[in-house]
Amino acid sequence: MAALFEARGLAIHFGGIKAVDGISFTVDAGTIFTIIGPNGAGKTTIFNLVSRIYRPTAGTILLDGADITAIPAHHIARHGIARTFQNIELFDNRSVLQNIMVGQHVHIRTNVFAETLRLPSVIAAEVKMRRKVEEIIDFLRLAPYRDARVGGLPYGVRKMVELGRALACEPKLLLLDEPSSGLNVEETDDIGVLIGDIRDVLGITVLMVEHDMRLVSAVSDRVLAVNFGRQLALGTPAEVQRDQAVIAAYLGSG
Amino acid sequence: MDMKRSYRDDLRLFPGGGTMAAYAVLAAILLALPLVAGNYMLSQVTFVFINGTVAVGLMLLIGYTGQISLGHAAFFSVGAYVGAVLQIRGVPTLGALVAAGAVTGIVGVIVGLPALRMRGIYLAMATLAFAFIVEEVIVRWTSVTRGNRGLNIPDPVILGHKLSTGTDIYYLAFGVFVIVLLAVINILRGRTGRALAAILDSDIAAECMGINIALFKTIAFAVSAAATGLAGAVYGHKLGYISPEQFSIQLSVEFLMMVIIGGLGSLHGAVFGAIFVVVLPQAILLAKPLLPTRIAEQPILDTAAFGIIVILFVMFEPRGLNGYWVRMKAWFSLYPFYRRGMFKRGRIAAADLVKH
Repeated sequence: MAALFEARGLAIHFGGIKAVDGISFTVDAGTIFTIIGPNGAGKTTIFNLVSRIYRPTAGTILLDGADITAIPAHHIARHGIARTFQNIELFDNRSVLQNIMVGQHVHIRTNVFAETLRLPSVIAAEVKMRRKVEEIIDFLRLAPYRDARVGGLPYGVRKMVELGRALACEPKLLLLDEPSSGLNVEETDDIGVLIGDIRDVLGITVLMVEHDMRLVSAVSDRVLAVNFGRQLALGTPAEVQRDQAVIAAYLGSG
Repeated sequence: MDMKRSYRDDLRLFPGGGTMAAYAVLAAILLALPLVAGNYMLSQVTFVFINGTVAVGLMLLIGYTGQISLGHAAFFSVGAYVGAVLQIRGVPTLGALVAAGAVTGIVGVIVGLPALRMRGIYLAMATLAFAFIVEEVIVRWTSVTRGNRGLNIPDPVILGHKLSTGTDIYYLAFGVFVIVLLAVINILRGRTGRALAAILDSDIAAECMGINIALFKTIAFAVSAAATGLAGAVYGHKLGYISPEQFSIQLSVEFLMMVIIGGLGSLHGAVFGAIFVVVLPQAILLAKPLLPTRIAEQPILDTAAFGIIVILFVMFEPRGLNGYWVRMKAWFSLYPFYRRGMFKRGRIAAADLVKH
């Protein structure tokens, strides 16, 4: 299998704190790759490096062989990386539909002058975009909430909306930051099935950070365990769970 | 309720035949108004159109993108002066109007660029400083603006038709208002509008969706400035004379009040706000004989009333006049099932708020 994404010696230092300190891994196309680690291990920081919210102190990020280490943050989506956030970053005052439509931003190529005149090309682009958005709404079963204001929806639904918005970017690589956080056991099971479907049905490669080991074991192809910004172990879920360094990091060495 | 059958139906300007009919009736009344209304009344409605044009542009900036501006009187004056100077030098009126909008839009970009690094109170200060600079330039650049002596503007001529009466200018202001309103509606319901709304709610998420925040904030400034500049050019034609002191800080504050009192995040609100700032001084004028002489003679009565009203709105109805409008519509459509308190704590019918 070909590597879709690769991080080489990725590092970021905040003053003296080495939040991520030389992490390397590759994600193969069509797989689910999970990063685990105790609180404060640097998992979300890795995500923020990949989505260019932070600028790495050292290291290289490659997508499809192209170096994307230095591109501006708003070009990441255009290159095919979309993400969700640990603490849900939705556009709260807009409807579910409008939120997911924002995800299509990089796929509509109208400019403000054409929009002002509402040219036929703009209307055609809007209809095409809407069709795509409705596919995603169906896929995530969000139809009952289509016109509801996102700010007032239950947490689980909001997580789905955020996932929908990321899928609307039509990414090659989807970053999920703790997809199960705040969800109950049934909802976690559902999201596990859904993540599997995203890989198998939509053919999107998934890179996620997750705490729930049941979910990690169920869906991951590869797992990377980190602590204090460094790699502890890398392998299949079973291998990583057996790893002595990982057990020590979670339970303390006894 | 009209049934939607395709995505195209969902993109229409008017959601249903009923709304379209209501706007058609409104347009017909406004078109026929000069037949029945006196000069004074017509003049006031003309000012509503001019203010409305500004309010719609300012709403895009403040209500939809979350950037504040205390410098819109300056954009208004730039538009008025560009329109006036070109008109005086013999440029056809339509060309002068377009140039007024375009030049002001470009000035908007120039102001918008440093504004990218600022928000809230700092942006307010920066735009305020910009307004002072523009005022100074107009006063000192006497070879073009004649400084404090002001400019007399010849009657505009459109398609060979000389616009000399109040009625002519009324139609000019009406036309410009409708064009700007439609333009802003189109921008807001397209890709740009969604990007602006995204920036307002969460700029970090917007950036991750591929939205170029700097670009869209600048676009918001440019569009807002262009609309205001166009309104300024029409204002010049309405008065026939412009001078620097007409474009003071107080005018900027009045513009800001239109969008706050009208209700942030709503174009209906922008129009309500524009009506409000025209009607309030009239109402105060009418109320004067009823007030004790000591109060009625105060020169700051208008300003004080404005201030108190803004405070009351911010405290009791942050959604502004549009908040009342939405509730009134809900009352009629839900009658007799409307309950008091239904709209407390944001329980407002979602569909009403998210659609504009």
